Amino acid sequence: MIANRRNFLMGAAALSAAVVTPETVRAMAAQEAAADWALATADLDADIAPRGMRLVHGRAPADLTGTLFRNGPGKFRRPGGSATHWFDGDGLMRAFRVNDGQVTLEARFADTPKRRWESEIDAVVTPGFGTPGDARARIGSNDDANAANTAVMVAGDEVWALWEGGAALAMSASDLSTKRFVTLRDDLKGMPFQAHPRYDPDGTIWNIGLNGDKAVVWHLNADRSLRTAQVIDLPRASYMHDFTATARHLIIVLQPWVFDHRGMPFSSQFAWRPELGTQVLLIDKADLSRRRIYELPTFSYFHLGDAWEDASGTIRFDVAAGKDVAFAVEGARVMVAQRGSVPGEHAVLNLITLHTDSRAEMVASGVTAEFPKSDPRRAGLPPRLTVHVAGERPDRPLPTGLATWDWDTGRSDAFLFGDSQIVEEAVFVPRGPDEADAWLIAPSINLAEGVTELHAFNAARVADGPVATWRADVALPAGFHGAWAG
Amino acid sequence: MIRIATVAAALLLSAAPALAQSADNKVVLTFETGARTGMVMVALYDSASAFDGGSARPVAATAVSASGSRVVATFENLPAGDYAMKAFHDVNGDGEMNTNPFGMPVEPYAFSNNAVGNMGPARWSAAHFAVSGETAQTISIR
Repeated sequence: MIANRRNFLMGAAALSAAVVTPETVRAMAAQEAAADWALATADLDADIAPRGMRLVHGRAPADLTGTLFRNGPGKFRRPGGSATHWFDGDGLMRAFRVNDGQVTLEARFADTPKRRWESEIDAVVTPGFGTPGDARARIGSNDDANAANTAVMVAGDEVWALWEGGAALAMSASDLSTKRFVTLRDDLKGMPFQAHPRYDPDGTIWNIGLNGDKAVVWHLNADRSLRTAQVIDLPRASYMHDFTATARHLIIVLQPWVFDHRGMPFSSQFAWRPELGTQVLLIDKADLSRRRIYELPTFSYFHLGDAWEDASGTIRFDVAAGKDVAFAVEGARVMVAQRGSVPGEHAVLNLITLHTDSRAEMVASGVTAEFPKSDPRRAGLPPRLTVHVAGERPDRPLPTGLATWDWDTGRSDAFLFGDSQIVEEAVFVPRGPDEADAWLIAPSINLAEGVTELHAFNAARVADGPVATWRADVALPAGFHGAWAG
Repeated sequence: MIRIATVAAALLLSAAPALAQSADNKVVLTFETGARTGMVMVALYDSASAFDGGSARPVAATAVSASGSRVVATFENLPAGDYAMKAFHDVNGDGEMNTNPFGMPVEPYAFSNNAVGNMGPARWSAAHFAVSGETAQTISIR
C-alpha cells in the first residue's frame, strides 16, 4: 500500500474514533444514569437470614432435593473507599435449599480478615484483581487479601469458599458461618487453591494454584483430604482462571496474557500479547513431568468445559473463548461503576481438539456462551450437551437466558427471558441415566420485580422455559459460581 | 502473588551484640499463641534502618518456650529510646521460619504494636514504640 496524505488522514480519523481510552469511558459514564442492570453489582449491607421463596411459575419437580450453594461478590462500596472491579467485592455465600417443592434462601458474607479490617475502618483498602487498594491495607499474607468470593466446593458438612490467590475458606454448610482457612498440610499453608477444582471419575479432585510461571497441582481424596501437592513449571507466566482434565491428563490453557511487571492491582501485572498465540499444556496425571505443548491461535478465556479423550488418544474440550481481555480489565470496572457501556466482546463456545500428532485446532459453535457446564457424571466421557448462559449482546453486558449446545447435532436449545432478567450460572442436577434427563438449576435477578429468583429447567427442553420458578423477597447481587449438594 | 518472604530472612535471628545498658528500662512482651509447641523467637531493634533493612542485626534477641501457661519475653537494662520487635513462632522447633513452596511463611509471625505490613513485613513506622521505664505489650502470634 502506498501511503499518501489522504489515506493517512482518514486512517488517523478512524484511529481516533476507535481508540476510546478508559478515562474517556469513565468520563462519559459519569454523565449517564445508572444502568438498568445495576442490581447485578449492588451492595448488600448485611447477611440475609433464611427465608422462604414463593413458587410463582410452574410446578415444583417432585424429585428435586438438594442445595445450590453459590458464591459471588456482595459488597463493593464503603464510605472511605470502594472496590472498583467486579472480581473484588466481599464474598457472599448463598444457599438455595430445595426440599419437597419448598425453597429457602439465605446468604452470609465470608468473614475474612479483609472484610473485618475494611468493616472496622469503613473503607475498601485492600488491593485485588482490579482494585488498586491503598496504604491502609493490612496484608501479612495472601489470605489477608482473600475475598473468598469466586466459587464454592462442597466438603462434607462444610462448603469451601474459593478464590484464586489464596487458600479455600471453610464455612458451615448448615448455617454458612465462617470456620477457618483450609490448610491441607502444614507446609502448604496459604498456597493458592483456585476456583475451579475438577472432579475426577474416580472421585478424587484436582486443582491448581498459580505463582508466576509455577503452579501447584493439588490432588485431593474424595473426602477432601490431601493426596499429593506438586509444584510444576509452566512454559509462560500466564493469567488463568480455570483448567480442565481428562481421565488421564490435566489441560492447562495459557492465554497470551502474561506477566510483565510487578504492581497492583494484580491484573495490572499482565500484558496482553496476542502475537504469542495461545498455548495448551497437556500433563500426564500419573507423572507431571510428562507433558506436551500445543499451539493455537490467540484467544482469551475464563472458563473451560470438561475434557475427554477418545480411544485414539485425541482430546477434546470446550471453552468460552474471547477475543481479548477488554472485559477482564475494563468491562468488569464498568460493571461496578453501574453506568456506561461495558467494553469487551462476549465469549463464544468453541471446541478445541488436541490431536495425537501435536496438531491442535479450534472450531467455533457460533453461540455466545459463558459458564459452560456438563453432566458431572460424565466428566472424562464425551458429553453431548454443554449448558451455558446465553443472550449477551453488545448492548447487554450480562446474560438474559440459558441454553444447551448439542455437540452431536450442532443445535442450540435456548430460552431467553428478555432484558428484565440477569441469568446466572446453571448447575446440572442429574435425575435419570440419560445426559438430558437432568434439571438445570439457575438463579436470576428479576430486574422488573427487583428480586432474586431460582429456576429449574428440564435439560431436554430448555426452550420451553423454566419448569418452576421461585421468587425471593430480596435481590442478591449476581454471583459467579455454584455447586449442587444432592 | 504477594511476597513477604523477606520476613523470613529478617527473622533469622542472630546473637545480640553487647550494648550500653540502663537498669531502669525494660520491655515485657506477652505472646498469645495458637500452638503450644516449639519456641517463640523474638528480636528487638532500636532503629528504622535496622528494623526495615532485612539483614541488620537486632539489639537483643531471645527465644521463649511456647509450652508454658504464659509465653513472655523480657528485655531488661535497655537504654531509653524507641524500639520495635519482630517475632515468629517456630512451632515445629526446627530453628527456622518455615515457608511454603511459593516462599510464604507457614509459621506464625508478629510485630510490636501488633502491626501488620502491606504485602511485606510491618515497617518501623507502624511497629516502633517508646521505652522509658517498664513497657508491656500483648502480641497475638497465631
